[in-house]
Order: sequence, then C-alpha cells, then structure tokens
Amino acid sequence: MADETFLSDDLLRQLMSVGEVDLLVGILSHRSANTMRRAAHYVEKSLQQNFVRQRVAIINVDGGAVEDSNSDERSDDGEEGNNSYSKGLNSLRTIHRVTAGFNGAPSPGLALRTILSSSDLLRAKACAVVSPATSSTSPEWVANLLRPAFRDSFDFVAPLYSRHKFQGLLARNLLYPMTRALFGRRIRELYSDEWAFSSRLGTFCLNEDMWHEEPVRSRPEAWMGISALTSDFRCCQVYLGEKPPPPDGAGPDLVEVLRQTVGSLFWLLETNQQAWMERKGSEAVPTFGPEHAVTAEPMELNRARMFELFQTGVKELEPILESILSAETLAGLQSIAGLVQNTFRFGSELWVAMLYEFAASYHHSVINRDHLVQALVPLYRGKIYSFIAEYADASAADMEAESENLCLEFEQQKPYLTEKWKAGVEVKS
Amino acid sequence: MRVTIMQGLEQAYYNLVHMIAEFLPRFVVMVVIILVGLLAAYLLRHMLRAVLRLTKLDRVSEDAGASRVLRMADLPSMTELLSRSIFWITWLGFILIGVSVLGVAGLQEQISRLFRFLPEVFIAMLILFLGLVLANFLSRAALLASVNAGIRSPKIWSWSIRFVIWILAISMALEELGLARQTVLAAFSIVFGASMLGLAIAFGLGGQDLARRALERYLGNSAKEKYKEPQPL
Repeated sequence: MADETFLSDDLLRQLMSVGEVDLLVGILSHRSANTMRRAAHYVEKSLQQNFVRQRVAIINVDGGAVEDSNSDERSDDGEEGNNSYSKGLNSLRTIHRVTAGFNGAPSPGLALRTILSSSDLLRAKACAVVSPATSSTSPEWVANLLRPAFRDSFDFVAPLYSRHKFQGLLARNLLYPMTRALFGRRIRELYSDEWAFSSRLGTFCLNEDMWHEEPVRSRPEAWMGISALTSDFRCCQVYLGEKPPPPDGAGPDLVEVLRQTVGSLFWLLETNQQAWMERKGSEAVPTFGPEHAVTAEPMELNRARMFELFQTGVKELEPILESILSAETLAGLQSIAGLVQNTFRFGSELWVAMLYEFAASYHHSVINRDHLVQALVPLYRGKIYSFIAEYADASAADMEAESENLCLEFEQQKPYLTEKWKAGVEVKS
Repeated sequence: MRVTIMQGLEQAYYNLVHMIAEFLPRFVVMVVIILVGLLAAYLLRHMLRAVLRLTKLDRVSEDAGASRVLRMADLPSMTELLSRSIFWITWLGFILIGVSVLGVAGLQEQISRLFRFLPEVFIAMLILFLGLVLANFLSRAALLASVNAGIRSPKIWSWSIRFVIWILAISMALEELGLARQTVLAAFSIVFGASMLGLAIAFGLGGQDLARRALERYLGNSAKEKYKEPQPL
C-alpha cells in the first residue's frame, strides 16, 4: 500500500478524481516546459493509438517547469504539442493528466516514488517512465515500453538503444559487464532515462525502506532494475531506437556520472551481497527487437588530452590508489601509464581486476567512498582511450565480440571479487 | 682578610659538596623512576596491545567507522593508537614524578600546575586531531577534483589546503593552551597574509597568460576548444 503521506493534498485530490487506470506514464519535466510538452504530446499520441480501450493517465512530475524561449514548441511531426496535449483524438476513454508539483527540482528518487505511489493509488497494471531530456522519444517508444509490462506480464522492461559506437562507453565497459557477471542477467541498460514496470514490482519497490539512500535518490532506475533481478521478477529488454547524445554541456560531467552510476552500483553490491555471491554465470533475458545496434559517423574527440589525464591521474593519485588497489594491480597500472600513446593498451584482465578491487575497497570503506569513486575517473579515461584506439576502424560485430569477451572476463574473475569482498581490511600499523 | 676569604671559599666548597651529596641520590632516584617508568610503559603498551588484539578492537572500530576516520587522518589502527597513547601517558607520568623528587624550588608548583593544565592539553590535542582529519579529507578532495578537472600541478592545491588547515588547527590549539596568544595571532596573520599575497603576486606576474585564459574561459570568449569526451551513458 502506498505511503501517501508525502504526496501533496493537491496531488491526492487529482488522483482521487481520476479513479482507477490500467496504465500510467510518468514524465519528469526537468524544469523545461517545452520539452515536457513535447514528451507529453508523444505519450498521449502513443496511448491514443496503441491503448485505445485502456484507462490511462499521465503524471507529470514537475520540478517547477519554466518556459524555454529557445526551444521549438512544435513536435517533430509538425503538430503543435500544446493542442494535441489538450485532448484525446482516437482513444475511447479519457486520458487523465495529473501534475505533481515540487518546490525546486525533485530528485529522481523522489520523482519515482511519487510515480509509484500514484500508480499504487490508481491501481495501474503497468507503468512507464519517460524523460523529456531524450530528444528522440517517439510514440513508438512509449508503446514498446508499456506492451511487455501490460500484455506479456513482464515486471521490468529495460530499454535498448542504437548509439554511436563511441557513446555509452561506461555502460559498455563497466556497468553492463559488471552487473551481468554479478547479478547473472544480461540486461544492457540498467542506467537509463526510460523504462517500464508492472504493478507487482512497483508495489514491491514502494514498500522497500530505501528511499532515503543517496544512490536510490540519484539513480532509482538502477536500484529498481537490480531489485527486479535479485528478487526473481520477470525482466526483458525492448529496442526503442536511436538515442542521440545530449547537446554539448547539457548532460552532467563525467565525475558526476561516475559518482551516480558506479557509486550506485557498488552500493547495490553491498545491499544485495547474498544475491550476487551465490550466482554463477549469466543468462539472457527475452529481448524484443535487435539486441545491439551502433552507428559510426566520424566523431571529434581530444584523445591526447584523455591519455594525458590518465597518466596524470595514475601519477598524482598514487597514495590514494595505494590504499584501494593491490600492489600488483597498481604496478600494472603504473606500467601501462608509462607507455607512449601508440603502444598503450588497457587490457581487460587488468581492467576487471582493478574494478573488482575498487568494489571491494568500497565495501571495506578503505577511504571515503565518494573519494574512492572519484579516483576511478582518470582510470576510466585510460580505458576509454584504449578502447577508442583499438576500435577506431572496427565493425559493430567486432565490437560486440570484444564486449562479449570483456563480459566473460568479468564472470571469470568473479571469485576474485568474492575473495576480496570477504577478506578483512588490511589495517595499517 | 686572607683568613676570611679562605673561610668563605671553604664554606662555599662545603655547601657545594653538601648540595651535590644531597642532589645526587635524588637524581639517581629520578633516573631510576624514569627508567622504571619506561619499563612499565613498555609493559603496559604490550599488554594493552595484546588484550586489544584478543578482543578484536580493530574489527569493532572498523564496523563503527572509527578506523575510517583514523585512516583519513593517516593515523595507525585503533589498537596501535591506544597502545602508543598509554605508553606515552605512563612514561610522562613517571617522568613528572621523577622530576618532582629532585625537590627543586618552584618545580613542585610547576608540576602541579601542569597536572591542572591537562584538560586544556586534551582539548588542544582533540583540536589538532580534528584539524588533521579535516586537512587530510579536504586536501584529498582537492587533489581528486584538480586531477579530474585536468588542472596542472594538482598537488600544489592539495598541499595549500592542507597547510592552511594545519596552521589554523595549530593556532587554535595554542590558543586553547593559552600559549603566547599575541604571538600566535600575529604569526597566523603573517603566514596567512604572506601566503595569499604570494599567491596573488605569483598569479599576477608569473601567470598572466593563465589569468587571461581563465578570464576568457569565464567570460565565454575562449578560442580554444573545450575538452570533449564521449558521453558515458
């Protein structure tokens, strides 16, 4: 049952006037009224076309949306978002629209909790969350996300995107292979802006006493996905389409992304240690659409600077890395940091061992946990430099084969993490 | 006249011999007390260390998060810290007792004043400890932020922050002890002011280009392209 005490009177009034629904779609407005209007237009269009007979509601979790005079108010298909948003065209039922207002931008965790509570009160059978920040959202995306949860009884629906081969490298080199190896399910995009879930999973997460935890507040989708994996909910992936990168300067910087995602992953390892320690290998989950698709347009990157930041990081952060890594791994890092750019390669074996030692050190709190995750940033840059150098001319198939090898390396070295995890912290005397 | 001088010298000699005869046994007693204290301190340290290891204090300290604070301050483990503390406290106590045996005029009063002074000493030590923890934490945060932002010479920033906090903690501790208040205040003002002035001059003279680039970047007129890296997610 939803804990509705944190919902405002106004929101409760709106929800009570809606009654019960079959489907709920949550939109996080990101303080931009125009992007929110465009996303709401697509959501409404999708619901009108694909769920004609279902009772549906859209909840806009609004952190004080402001008009953006530079944005185009028209959607990509030329319709004015505002007009279409105002009334349903094909649906046999009314599409209800609810707005949850907050003073200032709500945290993603609070926004999801609001959506889950609303979904619970409205007794929605399936729910999708979409982000107006994704510029390529289309009506098909919303329908593709909702269908498996509503019609095929899946509890957690993760998205799959087509991206440039050098975008999403954190997911490709760290988040996906590590979660796959540890939690035993092959879900590629656990850290995403769009996903869907069943009422069963929604209620399960709502009743968890985790909402005050920082990783849940910052990346609730990952926590929800891992909860689904570890509690044996039915999971699947669905291909949505191309996800272009945000315009320059629009997204959070690399340090913030690593703090949120890798910090959240390490925290999830700690809170679910019984679940991942017992699992062996990994299994595929049902996938709708192609499992991977990459594009390869020319891309301008300052690789020399990336390599320089890696070398500086290994040199300057040596005292910090000494307390996190084993002597052997640190020596390996220092050895490759001494190479010249042309011969530099960050091997999978060293990368995986290093990440597992970071995870174990996070568990043992050898230094402040936030500092520990920040110390990973230059090393990640080194890995990305190496990846780009190796796959500059590679085909999608070659990259996929190499990704698979990396995943297997993570699975093979899993006992090493377990051993490090269980070992006591080395006490300095 | 001559007889008087001889008598005076004789008296002085007898006084000296008497004083030495009186002082020497006390000095020997003091040395013995200090040596016994050293032995007792060693024994206590080893005994306490053994007991604390048996009781797995380090594990408890780890679970309570105290070890993390100690590591942040670059201090040894809780067991080692307590063992070393008991060693120094015990030995210092014996040294003070030994010195009081000498019976030097005024020293007794100074020693009793020292014991009355102990609460301030503990507070000063606590200030120093917290200053150490804060300095290590913030200097590491500065080092990580500088390295990740690609700022040149990141250790300079890290050490500057550590240095300023140390100076602040030391001056606060001395203030607590009531030692040379004016001197400490003046020394702090001079060191801090000189550091800031030095940095300003260094930045203004040696880093004209850097200042220009920083201002350009701030005002958004930089011709140099911003460092781009692929989107991680």
